[in-house]
Amino acid sequence: MLLTFLFFPIFKWLQCVTVPVAEGKSVQQTVEMLNKKLEQLGAVKQGNFYVDCETYHAGAPAIANSGQSQKFLYVMHNSEAPLSCFALFENGPCLVADPNFDVLMVKLKSYFQNAKGNKVESRGARYQYCDFLVKLGTITMGSSARGISVEVEYCPCIVANDSWNLMMEFMQSFLSSHVPGAPAVFGVKPDGIYSPSDTMVQYLELFNKVRKQQATPSTGMR
Amino acid sequence: MADVVSVGVNLEAFSQAISAIQALRSSVTRVFDSLKDGMKNKETLEGREKAFVSEFQDILQSVNRDLNELERLSNLVGRPSESHPLHNSGLLSLDPVQDKTPLYSQLLQAYKWSNKLQYHAGLASSLLNQQSLKRSANQMGASAKRRPKVQPSTLVIPPQYVDDVISRIGRMFPDMSIELFRPNGTSAVLLVTLGKVLKAIVVMRSLFIDRTIVRAFNENVYSEDGKIDIWSRSNYQVFQKVTDHATTALLHYQLPQMPDVVVRSFMTWLRSYIKLFQAPCQRCGKYLQDGLPPTWRDFRTLEAFHDTCRQ
Amino acid sequence: MEAPPVTVLPVSGGTINMMEYLLQGSVLDQSLESLLHRLRGLCDNMEPDTFVDHEMVFLLKGQQGSPFILRARHSLDRPNAPWHLRYLGQPEVGDKSRHALVRNCVDVAVSHNLTEFLSEMGFRMDHEFVAKGHIFRKGALKVVVCKLYRLLLPGNTESTENLSLSNLVELSMLAPAGQDTVSDDMRNFAEQLKPLVHLEKIDPKRLM
Repeated sequence: MLLTFLFFPIFKWLQCVTVPVAEGKSVQQTVEMLNKKLEQLGAVKQGNFYVDCETYHAGAPAIANSGQSQKFLYVMHNSEAPLSCFALFENGPCLVADPNFDVLMVKLKSYFQNAKGNKVESRGARYQYCDFLVKLGTITMGSSARGISVEVEYCPCIVANDSWNLMMEFMQSFLSSHVPGAPAVFGVKPDGIYSPSDTMVQYLELFNKVRKQQATPSTGMR
Repeated sequence: MADVVSVGVNLEAFSQAISAIQALRSSVTRVFDSLKDGMKNKETLEGREKAFVSEFQDILQSVNRDLNELERLSNLVGRPSESHPLHNSGLLSLDPVQDKTPLYSQLLQAYKWSNKLQYHAGLASSLLNQQSLKRSANQMGASAKRRPKVQPSTLVIPPQYVDDVISRIGRMFPDMSIELFRPNGTSAVLLVTLGKVLKAIVVMRSLFIDRTIVRAFNENVYSEDGKIDIWSRSNYQVFQKVTDHATTALLHYQLPQMPDVVVRSFMTWLRSYIKLFQAPCQRCGKYLQDGLPPTWRDFRTLEAFHDTCRQ
Repeated sequence: MEAPPVTVLPVSGGTINMMEYLLQGSVLDQSLESLLHRLRGLCDNMEPDTFVDHEMVFLLKGQQGSPFILRARHSLDRPNAPWHLRYLGQPEVGDKSRHALVRNCVDVAVSHNLTEFLSEMGFRMDHEFVAKGHIFRKGALKVVVCKLYRLLLPGNTESTENLSLSNLVELSMLAPAGQDTVSDDMRNFAEQLKPLVHLEKIDPKRLM
């Protein structure tokens, strides 16, 4: 199999970083290994989670009018905020709306087309360890597993800069050497206070990486 | 004057008095017996009443007689001798059989102990009153009544002064904002916001800190009815720990004569939590232990330690 | 080994196909108080709610056909409340058996960065106004009595002037498509407001 499996640790609005996994293992096996490690650490499984992302193309008319290049609108959902719907542009604003926004997108279908094949989601188990929340998800696109997402949240702290060292140490305890360095997006919101849309921005970046990474090997398969 | 003689004379009267008491008791008992039995059965109602009244009168007269007899005898008995420091119990010293009943020596011993105890208790209570640990008004009120002189003046501070002290402390630390509320009467409740790390609710009584609770920056400080919530604990383990430590700090910083210094020291100590998530433990060098950051701050050096790493 | 396939669920939560039934009318300033008085008596026993809203109407122009219209509303007197984004479909007025105008309606509560997001989507603001007035409820019925103000400077809600000497009165109700019986309730209610105000189904196209 050509795929390399990737870890994508996500922190409270810290950029996700890719780390290669030991070869010769499937996504499933790696996820199981990580689950086991977390449980050994004393983390308690608390149900499941999902994050999904629909892609919408800005239709031809809109582009003709705005004179901009091809643009994507992403609509995302997160089980952590089940009554919210997040609409994002890459590097653009993130709108937090109620679930009726999905209905609105149906109304807008002649302007924004849903690229069904591009739906990406991550599903997996949710763990709690002290004040940490860890979500270990399998990223799937179409019907195949594309990678592993690791979301680590240190709930009591709302400023990312403050808890970075602490999170590093925690991640080392179950990801060992795969812990990423300080993410580049660090300085973007240095004093900012965490909001749920920050997590979604990170998931979007992560999912877009998956899409691009998938584009190369799969071209031959199509 | 010989005690022995006077006691000897009185002994006769004593024994007579005791039998007089017995007589009195039995005649009183008869009063109640007759009242309990009620009227005896006679032919006419009038006859019944007459018999009952006359019997009752008889008995009452005998009670009166016995009482007079007792009074007469009690005058003979006389007042107990006051010359002995132990009053009547001093008579125990007259018991010639010391070896069998060492009551007197035991009594003296007990008396000495009780005297000593009272003296020490007095000393202790006056000392404790200067170093007041009492925090509730009820206790203070009670003690103020008994010993108005030693009541610490620190509890009757005008609210204006408290406001001043708090706002001065607030100005000392730019990264710490202190809001003052008076939800119930004159006692102040402070909401201390430390950077973007934590919020502490400090309940004051005059200038003494009564209670404190620490929560995360993003947790609610107001309850549903919009009042400041001084009871519920933080949902996060790390802040539950910090709350425990802060309570310890309240007991540590005590200087009853200068309560404003205490508040300032406590706030200085609390302020060291600004790096709660950033400072590694000064002993083991790590950030986490059992999933918790170093939650303890040394009272003097303000250095960060894990709860289990502190000396 | 392959992961389980992505579940093919319709993502959309939300309530699909809600219709708004609407009757409109107007009342002059002089008669406003008596209408409010009447409504206070007729409607559910609650404190009459006042509001000051700023509404912006955004257009997304396609190559053909009419533009796509979205209405963004936010409260000026409750700045912390979420913004309100509203899509209204083509109104149907033809059916004589229905006593109210019916149009498709999607209401979305959104975060405060809505205008920025809409312009990113390609929407352009067409016009804006401020509405001040009262809102009443009777069960699911909503009665809004408000006065409309034009903005003297674009985007500045501080300086406004009124559009006319009358107040807009709207009687509306949200219901799933097909429940036309609600329009009967609305007509009955509207009857009770006569002669203070005549509520009718007004075809916006005829006014253009």
